[in-house]
Amino acid sequence: MSAPVTTLPRLQAAAVAGPIRGGLAREWRLASRTVRASVICLVVFYLFAAFSPFFAPYDPIYQNRSMPDCPPMRLHLSAPSQWGYGVFWTYPLHMVDAEERSYAPDRNHRIYIHLFSRGHLFTTDSEQAPFYLMGSDGLGRDLFSRIVYGARVSMCVGLIGVLISFSLGIAVGALSGYVGGLTDNLIMRWSEIEMSLPSFYFLLALAAVIPPGISAAQRFLLIVAIMSFISWAGLARVIRGMSSSVRSLPYVEAGRALGGSRWRIITRHVIPSVLGYAIVAATLSIPGFILGESALSLLGLGIQEPTPSWGNLLSQAEDPQNLVRYPWILIPGIFIFLTVMAFNFLGDHLRDRLDPSSSF
Amino acid sequence: MARRLKDTCAHPAGRGAVGLLCLIAALAAGCEVRRPTNNHADQQILYTAVGADPQTFNPILVTDAVSGELLGDVFESLIRVNPVTTLPEPGLAQSWDISPDQKTITFHLRHDVRWFDGHPLTARDVLFTLKVIYDPKVPNSIRPGLLVDGKPLAAEAPDDYTVVVHLPKPFAPLLYSIGIPVIPAHILEPVWKAGNFNRVWGINTPPQKIIGDGPYKLTRYVQNQFIRMDRNDDYWMTDEHGARLPRLHGRVVQVIPDANATYLRYQYGQLDVYAPRAEEVLDIRQKIGTGRLHARLRQIGIDTGELFFCFNRNPRHYVKNGVTDPKLTWFTDRNFLRAIAHLVDKQAIINLVYHGLAVPAVSDISPENKLFYNPNLRDFDYNPGLASEIFETAGYHMVNGRRTDPQGHPIEFNLTAPTGRPEADQICAILKQDLENQGIKVDYQPLEFTTLVEKIDSSFDWDCVLLGLTGTIDPNDGSNFYRSSGNLHLWNPNQPRPATPWEAEIDRLMDAGASEMDPQKRAPYYWQIQQILHDQLAIIETVRRKDYVSWTDSLENYQPTVWGLYKPEWIQFKL
Repeated sequence: MSAPVTTLPRLQAAAVAGPIRGGLAREWRLASRTVRASVICLVVFYLFAAFSPFFAPYDPIYQNRSMPDCPPMRLHLSAPSQWGYGVFWTYPLHMVDAEERSYAPDRNHRIYIHLFSRGHLFTTDSEQAPFYLMGSDGLGRDLFSRIVYGARVSMCVGLIGVLISFSLGIAVGALSGYVGGLTDNLIMRWSEIEMSLPSFYFLLALAAVIPPGISAAQRFLLIVAIMSFISWAGLARVIRGMSSSVRSLPYVEAGRALGGSRWRIITRHVIPSVLGYAIVAATLSIPGFILGESALSLLGLGIQEPTPSWGNLLSQAEDPQNLVRYPWILIPGIFIFLTVMAFNFLGDHLRDRLDPSSSF
Repeated sequence: MARRLKDTCAHPAGRGAVGLLCLIAALAAGCEVRRPTNNHADQQILYTAVGADPQTFNPILVTDAVSGELLGDVFESLIRVNPVTTLPEPGLAQSWDISPDQKTITFHLRHDVRWFDGHPLTARDVLFTLKVIYDPKVPNSIRPGLLVDGKPLAAEAPDDYTVVVHLPKPFAPLLYSIGIPVIPAHILEPVWKAGNFNRVWGINTPPQKIIGDGPYKLTRYVQNQFIRMDRNDDYWMTDEHGARLPRLHGRVVQVIPDANATYLRYQYGQLDVYAPRAEEVLDIRQKIGTGRLHARLRQIGIDTGELFFCFNRNPRHYVKNGVTDPKLTWFTDRNFLRAIAHLVDKQAIINLVYHGLAVPAVSDISPENKLFYNPNLRDFDYNPGLASEIFETAGYHMVNGRRTDPQGHPIEFNLTAPTGRPEADQICAILKQDLENQGIKVDYQPLEFTTLVEKIDSSFDWDCVLLGLTGTIDPNDGSNFYRSSGNLHLWNPNQPRPATPWEAEIDRLMDAGASEMDPQKRAPYYWQIQQILHDQLAIIETVRRKDYVSWTDSLENYQPTVWGLYKPEWIQFKL
């Protein structure tokens, strides 16, 4: 007697998770080119974050003080007989005018670029004779290495932030929607108060009270926690609506009639039914976290120098002078842009695939 | 004129917001060729900018450069200094006589000077000003420079327009030190007697109530936005044709914390004068060359002030309940400081931060001060190898990658600087890198200027600071910095008696230097002071930038020097 009733919610859950059961290969075939490109982009950036020391050719905080604001260097392919030295090479640049920061190549020498050397994907013999793929910043630090290390902060802030704010949002929303009554009322009024706070100013105020003297990692986690704290309320409201409508559906009623505890019904029946929406919303809200961190770091309230993040790398571009003369300092912005776009495309795609109400 | 902390910027949030705005403006600048027009010339109003709000309108209590600059136009002093010749010139005193024994100086005041409210300025005002300055309950930067052997000057007024100053012994810098802003006795004397002088004329006072006697009067102040000054039509000065001065009808001083925003406003003609930062000099030169900016650019010399690192040596902060913080031991250890000095990469600062437009600073007095600058000091070269050798010899060893003192405490301190200046951030980043290579952990946290000043003045809660000070023509005017009793004796201010023998020696040299009347014989005393500061490393010098000024073409008679404007009353716009 009890068997058919308990399979009902499983069916419901299967309907939600169904499409992705067909295997990743099938999903890849079904995805558009844009989505595939987005996924590749994200995978590469997460690899940057996971294996920064390998991808970055140099120490991200090493200052080559004779080469500030050096432009990206040109890459040359060696003749096959030279491949013993390195497949690629570049002319060393040296500064000709300190005031103008203009560089000229020294055509009598070559710097060979070694692939898979000394634990790096590519690097040169020494940091004093560098190859700057994306130029250097105002203190002579390799911008590409800083971007690679910056991915650690910028790519993880979204994941961790979403993890915190969505666990909070789903738990609170599901509870509030299912339980209803005074609890519902209190929680929802509270979340409304939080939503009505102007979020960026709130973020600024909270970031300003972070105590000085804490380590970069602690600071990072605090910032993520602050951003999660601001963003859970919106999700909680939607989840609450969904779960309060689920509450009167027959399979939930049946679960209740069979004596399922409140906890069991929420975790087994209510939350799985809203999970599809939550995954889509999570993917689409990751860019918000990345942009939030960038904005804070750009203003000097987020990740502190010399630890790189894509936001604080852009702060050099705050000065229009620098922007005009050294346009490569905007490259971290391109990385932020690509990541945000990739998450949006991916989120859209997931919505098409996971939303049970839409057909595909 | 005592030494002052240099102004800097406001809080990061404000700075960022402006940063975004100026980014947009910069993009617009690319597509728009139209030269914006302004009516500054028609109105004869000079627009300039400062980086921070003034801290006070009370000329006696000033410690920051912004208030000092503004109030210099509102309050006149007995004697002015010609910035070109650096010699004293008549101000409120139209002449002065010095007695043969150099101990009595008689000032003859002008008869035609009136306060803004019409009251005539008399000797009573001068005497009252001196009385206030010597009042121990009024904290001010002027007093240390006006003490002869630690004693106040005796002044009397035989009649309304004569002031006689008696000195216990000859006092060479008197004509410079006496250049103090005179304040109106008829308004402030009752306040002072009631014991409220320290609260009067704060920045919340309506500007019209600030009664001065200078070429301009304050008319409007909007915090964080601007200060408006209008011409004082009763100002006593006239030009060679007998026409009233100043020629300008007013001044607007905008408060713009963000240096980028200031520069953009200058490019758009919203400001008439601008002191470009190193990276902007080239840009201005190119824009003038291509006709996109109708302005002039001039290098006026080398910064007369200084920019230095200073370590806190204040036992009032580090000794609590009889326990001495090990930091105090490090910060008073000459070996520790010498190693740090060898880690300041001045050439990198010049190249990375100032685009080559700076010179290494060795002494605390600028080479622009030809008479008192000591050229014989030996700079601490950038030499990390030597630095770690000094550390090792002095017992600061590396333990697990951390530099630790002989007692085993790992070395770690806070470094601060005013917010909003990218230069300060960069200089600190450069030093921090070198210190961290030596295993020293540095926590860099820039602070808002007001907060920073508060820490330096009263709470003493800081370890190491990167700070700028203005320079003075007569080193005796730097008494508030040199003397152990001075309020800008940064590392340990307002000492009741000198804490160390070398600080006592500086106090003694200041006294000796002040009583030597022959300028050539005075210089060696100040050379010796520079030598002591250099050896004791109370302050660790960085670099001095080359000063540039750019001003709009339509401005006439604008003659900037490193010591200030020459004949500012003659400035006008071409019509």
